[in-house]
Parts: sequence; C-alpha cells; structure tokens
Amino acid sequence: MIEINNLVKHYGDKKAVNGISFTVEDDEVLGFLGPNGAGKSTTMNIITGYLSSTSGTVKVNGHDILEEPELAKKDIGYLPELPPLYLDMTVLEYLNYICDIKQVKRSERKEQLAKIIAMVKITDVADRLIGNLSKGYKQRVGIAQALVGNPSILILDEPTVGLDPNQIIEIRKLIRTLAKDHSVIISSHILSEIQEVCDRVVIINKGKVAAIDTITDLSKRLAGSSKLLLSFKGDAKKIMNEIRSLPGVSDCKIRISDKDIHEAEITVTGNSASDIRTSIFYVMSRNSSPIMEFRSLDPTLEEIFLSITAGT
Amino acid sequence: MIAVFKREFLSYFRSPVGYIAIALFSFLSGYIFVNNFATGAVNIASEVISLRSFFVVIVPIITMGLFAEDKKRGTEILYYTSPIDLFSVVAGKFLAAFCLYGIMFVNVFIHMIVTKSCDGIVDIGAWGSVIVFFFLAMLFISIGIFASAITDSQIIAAIFSFIMIMVIQLLSTISSLAGNAIAAFLSMLGVASESSNSVGEAITNGINWLDPFAKTSDFRYGSFSVAPLVFCISFAIVFLFLTFRVLEKKRWAKS
Repeated sequence: MIEINNLVKHYGDKKAVNGISFTVEDDEVLGFLGPNGAGKSTTMNIITGYLSSTSGTVKVNGHDILEEPELAKKDIGYLPELPPLYLDMTVLEYLNYICDIKQVKRSERKEQLAKIIAMVKITDVADRLIGNLSKGYKQRVGIAQALVGNPSILILDEPTVGLDPNQIIEIRKLIRTLAKDHSVIISSHILSEIQEVCDRVVIINKGKVAAIDTITDLSKRLAGSSKLLLSFKGDAKKIMNEIRSLPGVSDCKIRISDKDIHEAEITVTGNSASDIRTSIFYVMSRNSSPIMEFRSLDPTLEEIFLSITAGT
Repeated sequence: MIAVFKREFLSYFRSPVGYIAIALFSFLSGYIFVNNFATGAVNIASEVISLRSFFVVIVPIITMGLFAEDKKRGTEILYYTSPIDLFSVVAGKFLAAFCLYGIMFVNVFIHMIVTKSCDGIVDIGAWGSVIVFFFLAMLFISIGIFASAITDSQIIAAIFSFIMIMVIQLLSTISSLAGNAIAAFLSMLGVASESSNSVGEAITNGINWLDPFAKTSDFRYGSFSVAPLVFCISFAIVFLFLTFRVLEKKRWAKS
C-alpha cells in the first residue's frame, strides 16, 4: 500500500508536482495518466526515492521514503521509462548484480531468479548479452529487474512504449499476472492499455490530480447522458421522428446514410439507457425495418481523458 | 560496495578500456625499464617515478566512464532506488579503478624480479617509490571519479580530470610562477623589494604545500614518514566525499 500525501516538487520556479495525494491499495492496479509534462514521471521518481519532494510525504507500507528509505525501497520494484540495463552484461549476470544491490539473500537467490526468469519468459536469452537483445526482450529484462527482491509494489513507467503489437499484448498479459499479488502503478499514454489492465485511474494535469476513479464511474460521471448507436434499413425520416417522440430521448440524428442503411446516434437523457432500447426495438419492429447494428456508445478512456485534461 | 566493485571491475574487461589501460602501462613501464637496462643502470625507483607522469593519461581513461556512463544509460537510477548506500557506490567504483591500477602495476613487480635475477639492486628507495605511487594513484583516481560524477559525457569527464591532474603535476612550476608574478606586481606598485619578495615567497610556499609530489619526495631515498601519506588519503577522501555529495544533490535537484 502506498499513501501519497500532498506531494509538491519545485523545479526552480516551476511547480512540476503541485499537491498530489492518492492511495494505492494492496493488489490493486492503478493507472497513472496525464499529458506530457503533467508530472507523471516526476511523481513516480519521488515515490521510488530517486528524487526528493519539496514537501509532502510518501509512505510505502507504512515506511516513509525519506525517513526509512531502506525499508521503503525494499518494497518497491521500479521500471523507469528507460530500463536501467547494463548492455555489457548477460541477462543472468545483470540479474545477479541486481540481487546484490537489492541485498537478496544468497540462499534465496537461485530460486527467486529462476521464478522471475520463467515468469517474464526470458529463459532462452538468459546467457546472451543485454546489448544484443531486441527491444521487447530488453523491456522484459527491465521488468525482471523490478521483480528482484520480491517487492510488493511495482511501479512501471510506460512499460509498453516502443514495442510492437505482439510484444504489447505479451507485456500486458504479464502485467495482469503480476497484478494478482502485487500493487501496480502503471503510467501510460496508451489509454486502451490502462482501460484493459487497471482497476482505477488517476488522471493528473499540470501537476495536480484532475480525477481519481474507476473507469466505469468516470465514464458515468462524464456521460450524464448516454448515447446509443443504431443502424437500420428503411424509411429514415419516419423512424427518426418516431424515436424522437419516445420519452427520454433528447436527440436523434443521422450520422451516416448509405443507400438504404442509415446510422443514427440517439442521445438518451435520464438514468437508464436500457429501458429505451426496448421501445426502440418495437418502433423498428412496427416499421418492419431490420436492425443492422445496435449498441451503446459509452465514452472511451480517450474521451474521458481529453475532456478532463482539456478543461483544466 | 562489493557488488558495485565487482561489476565495475569486471566491466573494465568487458570493454576495451581495461585492456587499453593495461597495455599502455605495460608499454610505458617496459620501455622505461628496457632503456635503463640497456645502460646497465637499472633503478626501479626512477622507473616508478617516471611512470607517475602518466597518471595524467591513464587515470582519465579508467575513471571517465565510472559515473558518466551510468548517467547516460540511465542505470544510475538503480543506485537511488535500491536499498544501497550512495557512499558505498562511490567507494566500490573507487576500489575498482584502484585495483585496475594494481593489476597494471604487476609489470613493475616483474621488472623487480628481473632486476634481482640479474644481480641488480631493489633497495628501500624502490619500495618507497612504490608506496608513494599507490597513494598518489588513490588521490588522482578520486579526482577522476569526481570529474566523472559531475557530467554525463565521458569526454568532458576525461578532459576535466586531465586538466586537474595536470595542474597538480605542474604545481611546483605554477607556484613559483605565481609567486614571482605577484612579487613583480607588488614591486611595480612601489612596495619595497624585500617585502614584495617575501610575499611572493609565501605564496609559492603556500601553493607548494598542496603539492603531493614535493611532500612525498623523500620516500625515494628510503626516508618514510606518515604525514604525506595521510595528506594523500585525506585528499582522496575529500574528493570521494564531494562525489557523494554531487550524487546526493541530484535528488534535491532544482532544475
């Protein structure tokens, strides 16, 4: 568990981080979002003890990162944006070195490394020089490095940046496996990734927390009204009018009309979009117009992100 | 500390740096030794003393990467985020460079054996110069490490330590130049020549006090004392501590 309380970091006159507070529970995956320069990396660097905050506290499992750095750092595994790899060492030499500086007991070392190597799937490159590995493998070695010492908290700064789609899927899978028994903080620009692996998101902008919530709650909060997408065949004008007259429908407009298939966007006010779907179905049925597609248009994380960061 | 030492020491031999340094030292010491040998006047002490003038080349080569490379590659973050003491990182790197010097110096021991086996003399003066050599190595390596910690470019680190070591090696020349210049300046201002000369002399002596070469010059005659060695060690500790502070300061960086 990490408790971050009113974190402030000044760079000269500039406030890179300006009063950020949030908590990461045990075994939770927290997404950390924000536009470039919002203070994501700075915050992560402070949590891991790389930088010191100007004011505010970070407590890792109850240990203050400044007052009890050794204890706090033992519980954290950190993968920075640029994985800290020694290109002139083999994977195994490197992980042994990490064991050394993280003070892993000699008796536990072999077992722990074997487990980590199997988990991040780098068994077949264990004896190769890190400098000769592909970017995906380097990233995995970086994650392996963070796992050494069995920390309960993992902090991953843009773990999938620069990887190809297959590698991204692999790394995401890995993160989901890790999330079972670790608290994880992930920062990323790839919003779909956050949506896929995270329980909660913290969105920061200009050094301040703009929103903290689960993704579903965030979309509800933002939506206020929900939208439905309907494509159908038949008399567009007549059907539109009928749908508009349904109670709870505030707007209905044609997005695309292609020969005989029309695509309409229906805005529903009120709380439940599910009720209106039945009525819409009967409207279509009465008019004997076939429904080609019918789904709800919930805002994606992209839209949430844009609307939150644009306004502030 | 041992972990960092082990990594840094082995990494000298994962790259050409260690081999280049050893080859260079072997060539230089061998050249000096063979030259002496040909004249029939082998003097290990003078060989070791000549080798001291190459600190200025070898120390920057072996220390420039110690911290600069870490910063460039982003691996320095490991020191800050691991439960490891920053000073032990500095000490580990210092020890690695110092041990590399020890390995280079094996050449000189071989020369001693050759000299002995040819009925030559390896006297107390030779051992005195060897001791001084290692203490000076400590001092210069600490300067090199400091230079490496203040920049993330190996070239700048090398140039910086090169200049610092050069200045220390030329300290006796610099001191007399500075003393004379100030004496001349004072007498130009109309100060009586006696007092202007004494001020100049005081300045020369003051700067000379910093000169580790002058301090340890008696060792080659077999006259040992503790004070110069303490001087070298203190000097090295000051620079290692400054290095530690530079690293620590990064955490509190304002920009």
